[in-house]
Amino acid sequence: MSDTNRNRLMLVIAIVMAAIYLFPLYWMFITALKSGSEMFATPPSFWPSEPQWATYAFVWESRGMGRYLWNSLVIAFGSVTLITVLGVGCAYVLARYRNVWVDIGLFLILMLQVLPASLMITPIFVGFSQLGMLNYPRLAVIIAIAAKSMPFFVVLVRATFMAVPQELEEAALVDGNSRVGAFFNIVLPLARNGILVSAILIFMQAFGEFVYSKSIIQAVELQPASVGLNSFMGPNTNEWNNIMAYATIYVTPILAIFVLLQRRIVSGLTSGAIK
Amino acid sequence: MTKQIELSGVNKYYGAFHALKNIELSIEKGSFVALVGPSGCGKSTLLRSLAGLESISTGDLKIAGELMNNVPPRKRDIAMVFQSYALYPHMTVEQNLTYSLRIRGVPKAEAKKAAEEVAATTGLSQLLGRYPRELSGGQRQRVAMSRAIIRHPKAFLFDEPLSNLDAALRVHMRKEIRTLHDRLGATSVYVTHDQIEAMTMADHVVVMKDGVIEQQGAPLELYDRPANKFVAGFIGSPAMNFVPAVVGEDGRSLAVDVGERQTITLDRQLQPGRRVTAGLRPEHLHFVEPGQGVFRLPVGIVESTGSATYITTATATEVTIVETARRPVKTGDIIDVSIRPADVHVFDGETGLRV
Repeated sequence: MSDTNRNRLMLVIAIVMAAIYLFPLYWMFITALKSGSEMFATPPSFWPSEPQWATYAFVWESRGMGRYLWNSLVIAFGSVTLITVLGVGCAYVLARYRNVWVDIGLFLILMLQVLPASLMITPIFVGFSQLGMLNYPRLAVIIAIAAKSMPFFVVLVRATFMAVPQELEEAALVDGNSRVGAFFNIVLPLARNGILVSAILIFMQAFGEFVYSKSIIQAVELQPASVGLNSFMGPNTNEWNNIMAYATIYVTPILAIFVLLQRRIVSGLTSGAIK
Repeated sequence: MTKQIELSGVNKYYGAFHALKNIELSIEKGSFVALVGPSGCGKSTLLRSLAGLESISTGDLKIAGELMNNVPPRKRDIAMVFQSYALYPHMTVEQNLTYSLRIRGVPKAEAKKAAEEVAATTGLSQLLGRYPRELSGGQRQRVAMSRAIIRHPKAFLFDEPLSNLDAALRVHMRKEIRTLHDRLGATSVYVTHDQIEAMTMADHVVVMKDGVIEQQGAPLELYDRPANKFVAGFIGSPAMNFVPAVVGEDGRSLAVDVGERQTITLDRQLQPGRRVTAGLRPEHLHFVEPGQGVFRLPVGIVESTGSATYITTATATEVTIVETARRPVKTGDIIDVSIRPADVHVFDGETGLRV
């Protein structure tokens, strides 16, 4: 087989795989636009005959989505801020010092990443309840998410810091800066891309977080969109178009961010994001 | 002459590893000092200790008369040029140059003016708005130099600054750095593993090995009177020939273990029967008429550079000879060579120290 033919075959395989993988997303978008009867038609239609745009406005109003999304934003921004502020310092230290304790620290950090949220929630819940944190449920969720996602952030950002040559910092020290000044003036600007990309990934994770929010936040008016979507679905639900509309409104902003920034995200993850 | 940098009894340990051993070094104001030695000899550690990037374990380190042992780099008022240049990639050339001034709170206009002045002397005027990634190797090197000279520090430290340049540019920058040093009346410490750089640029050469200063002095002093076998082999290119020898009965000749006629006369009296190593520089071995020479040697390899011919003999202990006159020598020939008694270096057979 010639090279061009093989490339074509590979391309076809890639397209088929992508189509299978993205099909649920496509189904979500078109179901949201279908009418009640078209939704249950057999065979199903792959393109809505009369797009029902009004569904979006109806769902937004009736489910109070503005409030849910606001809560999701608060939780996501809170977690990202907390993780970034704490994680950058941690990652820097782990990148610059090499000894047994740093290795042990890294190992523990990776261990944290291994434990699933559904396992962690029980001890976290009991602990928070004893500390009285459940009275501030959104803050409690932010802290829980920060604890969960910090390892991921630290590992990514550490790699970024390691790609910043130490000589640059030394040059800044000799040039008259302090250790802290060199960090903020030289290292941080050079690691900015890597930190930004990691923060965006954390944001997207936190924006869709479900387990901690569902368990910790009881008050409906403080719940994020993920929990709102869950409460939309019951054992006898049949308003799939409304649920799909909800889901569309929820994920489209995240998808948009990802599509817009995907080039940066991919390059930020693979290279040290320098030069 | 005032002492700009003084080190006395300086030791540096990394855990159990003894990186600098009892360093005694004083550097006069306005002098150009080269630290030279094979990799891992401690020359970079010594330079970094001067900069304050490493702390010394024991001993005293003074810069301009002030004790600097525990002073952080930013308060030492020294400038350093790194091997990788360490230019700040996110800053333009001008910002790179003025960084140290801006930290010290020099007004913007003044810093800009200083950058323009320095750039004019180093030929960077057209490049002030560029980023380091847009510059060639030689230009980056110049930026690194300019960044060092802009603030008139007490001393310049160079950490193998030319090793990333190609051969022609290196020779050129060698002169440029030395000219700049003279014009600024600066005090410079220059680390290199290249003995030619050290010999050509420095007023004072410090040869190091395994954390110890083996010898220090003026370049020609090191060449003419190396204190030991290591220095003798390190300074000079091609390297000195070392031949095992025994002092003759009269104490004024050496029985040398190579070639056919094996006796060289000495210009000094030594203890008869002593085992020594004779050091013969390749450029001091001269061709003579058959029968007139000290050595008769079979030719092994002949390499010609045009200006000089390098001849390596086919003897058990290889001897290299550099001949500047053109001679029709080829592999397998037998040649006669001689050496002036004053040019023969003698080292103790065991300690390697100069006799």
